[in-house]
Amino acid sequence: MGFSEHGKQFLLPEEALYLMECGSVQVFLHGLPLSIQEGYEMFLSPSTVTLQQYEVFSHLKRLGYIVTRFEPSCVLSHYERTLNLPVQRDRQGRALKRKRSHSPHSERPADEQEGEESTEPPDHEAKNQRFDPENHPDSLTEEKDQGEVEDKPVAMESTSDAVLARNWWVDRSPRSPMSPTRSQAPRWDFFTITFPDLGARGPLSPLVAPDPTVLPGELSVSECELTPWLQRLNLRKERLSRREQEREQARRRYQRSVNDDKEVRRCGNWAEYQELLRRRRRHHGQRDRPPHLWESTVKPLVQPGQHTSPGELLDKISIIKPSRLLDGAARLEEGADEWKISFDVFQPDTVAEFKKSKPGKPYSRLCVCSFEGPVPDLRVLKQLAFQSGDIPVTFAVVDHGDISFYCFKDFQLPTDVSH
Amino acid sequence: SFPARAVLPPPRPVSLGVASAQRPKVIKTAAMDTDCVMHACGSSALLWRAAEARAARRAGIVGTLVGALARQPRQNARLGRPVELLKEEARLLGEEEGWALSHAPERSEVRLAEQHRERMEHSYAEQSLLALQERKAVLQRVLAEKQGADDDDNRAVRDRLGNLDDTFSFPRSAMAVQLSTARAGLGHDPEERRFLVSELLRTRDEQFEIRFRVFRDLRNKGFYLTSGGKFGGDYLVYPGDPLRFHAHFIALCVALETALPLCDVLALSRLGVNVKKTVLLCSPSSEGTVAYTSLQWSGMA
Repeated sequence: MGFSEHGKQFLLPEEALYLMECGSVQVFLHGLPLSIQEGYEMFLSPSTVTLQQYEVFSHLKRLGYIVTRFEPSCVLSHYERTLNLPVQRDRQGRALKRKRSHSPHSERPADEQEGEESTEPPDHEAKNQRFDPENHPDSLTEEKDQGEVEDKPVAMESTSDAVLARNWWVDRSPRSPMSPTRSQAPRWDFFTITFPDLGARGPLSPLVAPDPTVLPGELSVSECELTPWLQRLNLRKERLSRREQEREQARRRYQRSVNDDKEVRRCGNWAEYQELLRRRRRHHGQRDRPPHLWESTVKPLVQPGQHTSPGELLDKISIIKPSRLLDGAARLEEGADEWKISFDVFQPDTVAEFKKSKPGKPYSRLCVCSFEGPVPDLRVLKQLAFQSGDIPVTFAVVDHGDISFYCFKDFQLPTDVSH
Repeated sequence: SFPARAVLPPPRPVSLGVASAQRPKVIKTAAMDTDCVMHACGSSALLWRAAEARAARRAGIVGTLVGALARQPRQNARLGRPVELLKEEARLLGEEEGWALSHAPERSEVRLAEQHRERMEHSYAEQSLLALQERKAVLQRVLAEKQGADDDDNRAVRDRLGNLDDTFSFPRSAMAVQLSTARAGLGHDPEERRFLVSELLRTRDEQFEIRFRVFRDLRNKGFYLTSGGKFGGDYLVYPGDPLRFHAHFIALCVALETALPLCDVLALSRLGVNVKKTVLLCSPSSEGTVAYTSLQWSGMA
């Protein structure tokens, strides 16, 4: 409820009136407390909140809902929603606190290194002492040794821990990290690399030892014998039960492996295979295409064998396309002044977690109208749905104190055929 | 089934004898001058004082309560003042009962502010006196209960009782204040009273005229009418006070010459059957009478 501006707490007129009616608040004007009648007369006007809107507001608040005014600028567009930006609720222009960025940046650590190299030894010791204050002197010397070992291979290791953590992936060898390696030819000769076929039934040759240049450090790998490894695998023949055997036979009867076809096996590569498929389709097509159907001016929409699923077929021949509520809503101009979204409504059980700075998504948005007024048409529905984003819009129809809520929901006729 | 021309049954007389359902014919005189005023809020008329609401009820105008009930504000089952009136009700009150319609007047602040402060001071003095008396009573009761028990406690309590007149202070924040519903004082500026009801109803269109004539006719027959939007009609017609009876009719006002599509007639009659009310199509004629047609639908089993 309310908002604060310039350090003072303010209440919106409808909120003040509601609190007055509940007996929680007294509003003073020129030293006199306002009566509820005066509150109604002063706070409710076409420029703030009308009587009907206030009736809806108080009705929902008495039921326990949280009702706030609608701000069109706070609605995220579809694009913004996909970006998943943090919600900026405070409109006073207070900038988000800038956190110190820890992004890795290749130039900065270099500067830091040069600056800190001179201070390296004392900082290093300081670091050790910081980490192990209670340790024995023995372990302390151990730490120191480790530290010295660390220093050797990577010559320019920085002392600062954070910098160390950030830059381990950057190659800091004396030659410049990125460009030379890219311009060289790749070290691998892909034509000589063989992938051993471990599934073959015949005798298997042992795997050759890998090139020692690719192995790190002093690691050495010798030839690998495959037979003991394969023996560890479970190579027992599968024994199926009778029912499973029958199922396998049934499946095999109707399945036809592509490789069984002699013509397919004769194809050397994909291009030849596609040519074969095209040839086959042409031959089959000529048999099934009567000229009176295919040669006249009016041809069938769909060719046999063109679509694989009934869903695609239906799409192709459908005349009426399904439409959604938000189709074309973006193109509608801001039209009628009478249809406006007035309030956001939040669920009553979220009262504990509701924060004015971060209200979350409302349960629904309300448009208040009178019973004597016109029924909203499709144009109005589309405009309001577009304004509201992904939150459904509820129409609160006020009939001299009786309030009914109506909601227009998007509905798609179910299609019988899955895609 | 066919819609039949129905003669409206006369309303049942009220047995309690407090107010009769049959209202005597009103003879309008220029001297008819009541103190009751309706207040305009936006495009609707509201009644704020309890006396005005009662007077309206006596005149047969029901209205709807739309404010929060003072003793139980956070519920929707029973609402309190103000009473919102239909446009037809406001016009009837203005024309036949001589009520006036007023808009929000200016407040004369200075004098009233002083009066208010004096009243607050007076109220504070009264309340602190009452609080002191109550405190004394409580302590005396405690003393009486503890007769013969611990002497220390009794002495402490007696001491407190003795010092109460000096040490007792009634904090300002504990004072009970009254938030009045209706405007204090006259409630309206005397000069403003001469606003005619027609000022509110400037946007008179033909449909409103039709509705008003039907309203007046039914009211003159003694029926009580409320808004019928809940049931898809213009008015709900009660044979007596709505607090005592269920509605008997759903009244729909149509012009005499309009052609109603059959689907609408069918929808209305089925609706009436489902809610056990008779649908009345009311059309004012040019002679000044109103023709009523009731619809009845019975399914072929």
